Amino acid sequence: MAEHTILVVEDDSTVRELLKYRLGKHYEVYTATNGKEALDQIEETIPDLIISDIMMPKMDGFALQSALQADKNTRVIPFIFLTARADEEARQQGERKGVDDYITKPFDMETLLSRVERLLERIDMFQNQLDAEIGRDFSNRLLPDHTPDIDGYELDFHSESRQQGGGDLFDWTETEKGTYFLTIGDVMGKGLRAKFYAFSFLSYVRGTLHTLLEESTSPAALMGELNDMLLNDDVLEDTFATFLLFHWDPHAHTVTYANAGHCRPVLMTPDGATVHEHSDLILGLEEDITFSEVSLDLDPGTALLSYTDGLTEQHTQEGGMLGEDGVRDLAVDAYDDASSIQALLDGVLSQSASDSFEDDLLVVWLKRLAE
Amino acid sequence: MSFDAETASSETVIIHVGEALDFRNADDFKATFQEHVDEGVRQFILNFSDTEVLDSTGLGSIFSLYRAISPDDGKVAFADVSEPVQVVVQLTRTYKVFRQFPSVEAAREAFAE
Repeated sequence: MAEHTILVVEDDSTVRELLKYRLGKHYEVYTATNGKEALDQIEETIPDLIISDIMMPKMDGFALQSALQADKNTRVIPFIFLTARADEEARQQGERKGVDDYITKPFDMETLLSRVERLLERIDMFQNQLDAEIGRDFSNRLLPDHTPDIDGYELDFHSESRQQGGGDLFDWTETEKGTYFLTIGDVMGKGLRAKFYAFSFLSYVRGTLHTLLEESTSPAALMGELNDMLLNDDVLEDTFATFLLFHWDPHAHTVTYANAGHCRPVLMTPDGATVHEHSDLILGLEEDITFSEVSLDLDPGTALLSYTDGLTEQHTQEGGMLGEDGVRDLAVDAYDDASSIQALLDGVLSQSASDSFEDDLLVVWLKRLAE
Repeated sequence: MSFDAETASSETVIIHVGEALDFRNADDFKATFQEHVDEGVRQFILNFSDTEVLDSTGLGSIFSLYRAISPDDGKVAFADVSEPVQVVVQLTRTYKVFRQFPSVEAAREAFAE
């Protein structure tokens, strides 16, 4: 976690330097000698906490605190008053202004440090809870609430989300001809930022697919469009994503797909499993590149497994990562199971060092039933 | 934690990636290369000889470097690529964008040509 920043506002240089020295061992500290200087500093960098004297030249602590209260951007910064005016009048005035703490000089440094620590802990806790809530909300929006129900086929997915996880996404769209586009992706990065970009990106993909599908059902052509968008959109600047686009025709029993640097899908038949190596460059890196596509026939009993790197990067008991070969072998074992995804996940966990998944995880399993 | 960066010539900087480039230090990596990009450096050699971990956030930070310098025909070379890094590079097909060299020295020679 990034170091907390504390602004110390104090006109007495001895006290100021002492505070800077002691707090500086744990936090990033910057200082001001009066309220006016403090406001200038805050305009540059908003601190996580302010410790301020009351009696100061030019602009005193009360005026500083009032100014901060008047601005919605600074109102919530925790504020500790440090003052020699131990009398009840000053204390009450401080409390009326909604100050978080009030410490009188001469103060005990350990007491001050523990109060600072407690205040910052409280802020972190609120922040973490909020992040977790928003993260869960984003994660839910990156997945469909149901999958299409097609005779002779099974389409299932499973997703697990970690707070520090990234932006796994899965979506499907039906075309006018009764075929389907499946989109599976992973927006690089961790935490809320990745989830936010994944959400923005998926919204764009959804919108774009509807428009583009009127002209082309080529996954490779669509992938090129998505790449251009990522490179030219200001909001999504510096966003990179691995992506799989499947065009699935359940009537012709084919899947045509393009792969932009995503984990390679596994094709399973009663005879065994193969990793399909066809792949192009990841999205968002290079302009004017062309993507290619390949078609697979879905004979009766054929299953297609797609996943994100949370699966391949799961650590095994031997200390390495599960890897592509590990996924393929476990997919063979899970192939005949009535609930294949669950069997696959159980298989992975039985080989894992940990009893749960370490990272975000997405698994999509499409199977043509045996006749 | 900052990264060890070494100026090889006025045009080229070598960044020693160290044991891990992942979500924990990707921002430090960005800060390291940004300083040199701002100074006008457009050729970077990334030394992966000790690298055990390169996750998608780490790789993303390398992509950010490439995006920052590619409009000026800048180059990012991968030197002494370790096995874990090779796996990621293969999967994302990024070897099409980042030239690989067996050693930092070989990358320097190629850039000097």
